[in-house]
This record gives sequence, structure tokens and C-alpha cells, in this order.
Amino acid sequence: MARAIRSNTRLDLIVLSACVVLALAARALPNTMRDPVATGMRRGFLAPLVMLQERSEKGRQSLLAADAKQAHLDSLSLASMRAGELEGENDRLRKLIGLGARVRTGFIPAEALHGRGIRDETTVILSAGSRAGVTRLSPVIAPEGLVGVVDQVDPTMSHAMLWTHPDFRVSAMSPDGTAFGIAQAHLTGATGGYLIELRGVPFRATLKPGALIVSSGWGGVWPRGIPVGTVLEEIKTTEGWARTYLLRPAVNPSDVYSVMILRRERLAKGLEGVWQSVAQADAAAQRVVVAGDSAARSAALAEAAARRAVIDSMARANGAPPLGAADSVRAVAPRPAPVRRPPPADTGRRDTTRRDTTRRDSVPPPDTIPLRPGVTR
Amino acid sequence: MNLGGAIRAIISFLIFVVLHYTLRPLLGWRAPMDFLVLALLLASVRVRPASAAVIGFVLGLISDSLAPDALGAGALAMTAVGFGASYLKAVFFADNLVLNAFFFFLGKWVFDIIYFVAEQRVHGVELVQQLLLWSPLSAAVTAAVGVLLLFIMRPLLEPTPA
Repeated sequence: MARAIRSNTRLDLIVLSACVVLALAARALPNTMRDPVATGMRRGFLAPLVMLQERSEKGRQSLLAADAKQAHLDSLSLASMRAGELEGENDRLRKLIGLGARVRTGFIPAEALHGRGIRDETTVILSAGSRAGVTRLSPVIAPEGLVGVVDQVDPTMSHAMLWTHPDFRVSAMSPDGTAFGIAQAHLTGATGGYLIELRGVPFRATLKPGALIVSSGWGGVWPRGIPVGTVLEEIKTTEGWARTYLLRPAVNPSDVYSVMILRRERLAKGLEGVWQSVAQADAAAQRVVVAGDSAARSAALAEAAARRAVIDSMARANGAPPLGAADSVRAVAPRPAPVRRPPPADTGRRDTTRRDTTRRDSVPPPDTIPLRPGVTR
Repeated sequence: MNLGGAIRAIISFLIFVVLHYTLRPLLGWRAPMDFLVLALLLASVRVRPASAAVIGFVLGLISDSLAPDALGAGALAMTAVGFGASYLKAVFFADNLVLNAFFFFLGKWVFDIIYFVAEQRVHGVELVQQLLLWSPLSAAVTAAVGVLLLFIMRPLLEPTPA
């Protein structure tokens, strides 16, 4: 019995010694041999345990980063909620920059502050006052067109009447000068506040839907050519001697945030060519954006040059002079007799927008329009 | 130990090993509990010292494989702790929670002492700080967790009545 116990004890000591020697040998291994042994064990039977440990550590890191991630997500959500608003504001400001580039001088940029009272949609507070040069009856415009008129002026701010105001009137006309009328807010109906009536249009003058209506310059408050709206339809009224048209306004009063107040001295110079059309006002804003990107501009120029080169080469191949020589050829060659072509189906709208060539013939320039007695321009 | 007791002991051992690689990294404490030492101690009191030394050597190699710079240090420490625990099982492994807690505490502390001395990664004051501050703290946490697990896993760890 005692011998068996001594034998077992000896065996235990032998095994212990062997394990200790092996452990010391493993400890004494050089790095070049130690790493392969450890790597082999990790990739072998220890792989499940290593995977468990990795997942646990990732879980701990996720727990620790949860608050920071949640705060980051909240910030992103807040930013994304404001992104649409900022994009809209950016678009409006770009349009305003485009309009300012066309008006050039004589305007005061201002912010329109909407109130929260009953008359929200008829008046606004403007962030510029008499110190900035604002005077009473100064026109207020936006890149899309006519907004309203200043009716009260303080040193640092002013109060403007929007076109939706019941007392608002503006003399308006079609761009070709064939139809004149008085534009005012269309106050009947549930949505009447966002439409305009063009009243008093002579019975002989007809306007097609989609035709642009601009300010006529009569009255001395608004210069000629500011877009007021586009014709929707003719509405029936009790006035049998004149027509009344319903217009879609160029400017939605609820979307007005950044405006321009025209100085009185700017009115005398007129706004000819500033709004050839609403589409061109948008194009002006787009040009401002493109002009800011020199790479895009140079690429566009290169593309235009390449296109012109292709057209010229095709013209030479067909025996025709290149594009650049067209003017000289046309000057030498006898001009054929003008042929009056029947107008295409959509010329009605196109004629109304190309007013530079027709209005000067049919309508006297703004300076020659007789003023009513007692009205100062 | 009969077959049922051996199977339950093996299951308990595997549970401790799995906890070492899941719960310990998840908690990430500065003075972590060591489930491998607990598993080794619980196994060592059930086997002969030679077997306990082999189990300790294998467990040490497993823990060393995740820290190749210390390869062999853990195996040496685990071998010594396993052999010692098995040799002293008659002294310590009584049905007394406080005595078991001290057993776990001592096992973990001895393991740390052998491990850090053999590893030779920390020296001087840092080694003293590790052995006299962090190692006892870790040993205390290990002892507390060990006692808690003993209490929870008592149906698995109790010997089968004859």
C-alpha cells in the first residue's frame, strides 16, 4: 500500500516535471518558432474560442460606442431634416444672386419676416429700412417676379404689402403690349388668396392660357417688365365691356424669404431685359452656379469647341461653308424674299415671351408713357 | 468519481472556459476575473496531481496562444497551480464557501505571481504594483465570482450520492 502511494507520488512528480520542462521550453522558444506554434493553435482547435472572444470584444465596443453612435445618429437626423430647407433656401439665394446680377444697381437686399397673425399672407416685415435707402412705395421683387410694395418705413426695417393684400393693385399687360389691365388678388374662393385677377382687359384683347403677364410701368410705382403671373383662364364677371383673367402668380407669398427692394432712382432706368421670362431668370441663376465652377465652365467651352469643329468639318464635307463664315456669306449673297410661314401651334406662348422685338414697336418706351396728373415717377 | 460525475465536471469545466472567452472580454474590467483558473481549480480537486498538472499545462497553452509573447508562462503557472490544488485538495476543498473563496483567491494570486515573473514583461515598481495591487484585486474578483458560480452550479458540482 505504501509502495503504491510512493509510486503514484513519483509518477505525479515525473509528470509535473515534464510539464514544467515543456512550459519552460515553450517559454524559451525564439520568436520565429513561437509565433507559428501560437498561430497554429489559434487557427486549429482554438478557433471557436478565438471567434467567441472576438465577438465579445466587438459587443463590448458596441456597448461603449452606443451612446456616441446614438448622438451621431441624432445629429445626422437633425441635419437631414434641415437639408431640404437649406437646399430650398440655397436655391432661392442663387436665384436672387442671378437677379441681382441682372438688375446690377439700385436695389437693397432684404429678408422677409413672416408674421404669425391673421394677416400673415398679405404683409411681411422687411429687414431693411430707411437707413438702407428704403422709401415708401418702393417695389419689392423676388427672382420669380413681383412681390409687393413697401407701405411703412422704419429706420431699420420696413413693412411691405404683398400682392395678396386686398388693397394691392398693379397695372399689368401682356409682354407684347396688346392687352392691359389691373392685377389684384383674387379674393373669392377658398384658395383665392393665391391667385391673381387681371381685370379691365379690353374686350378685343384675348389672352391664351400660359401667357405671361408683366407690370406695365403705368402708375409710377413698378417699373415695366416685372412678371406678375401667367394666365390660367378667363373668368366671367358682370362687367360686359372688359375681360377678366385669372392668373397664376409668379411669386407664392408663403415662399418669400429673400427679396430685393428697388430704390426709387432705379425705377427711372427701368428693368428692361431683367426678366425676359421667368425661365431666363432661372437660367441666369443657373449661370451663376455654373460660373462658380471653373472646371464645369472649361469643360463646357471645350465641348462647344469640339461640337463646332465637328459641324464645320461636316459642312466642309458637304461643300457648304463652315459655321463661322455664315455671316459673311449671308451678307454677300442676295437675301431671298421673306416668306411668311404659318405660325406653329405653340407660337402663342412663344410670342408672348419674346417681347423685346415686338413691344418696342407697339408700345412706347417707358420714358414716353404719359403720366397721369399728380403722379410722380 | 463515477461516469455521471465526470460528465458533469467536464460540462462545468467547459462552461467556465467558454465564460472566460465571452463574459470576461465583454466586461473588460481592469482587474478581471479568471474563469480558466476557476476551471482548473475545480478540475484539479477531482483528479490526481499528475492529471491536474497536464490539465493546467494544456489550459496554460490555450491562454498563451492568444498572447504569443508569453507562450509558456501561462502553461508554467497553470501547471503549478493545478498540481498544487490537486495536492492540497484535502486541505482546502471542504464544504465551506469561505474556504473555497480563499482557495480560489490563493490559486489566482499564485498563478499571477508565477505568470508575471515568468513572462518578464513588467519589471520593478510596475511588477510590484501588479503583484500587490492588481493581482490581489483580480484574485478577489475571481474568488467572488467562483463562489457565486459554485452556488449557482451546485447541482452540477455536487458529488452523486451513493
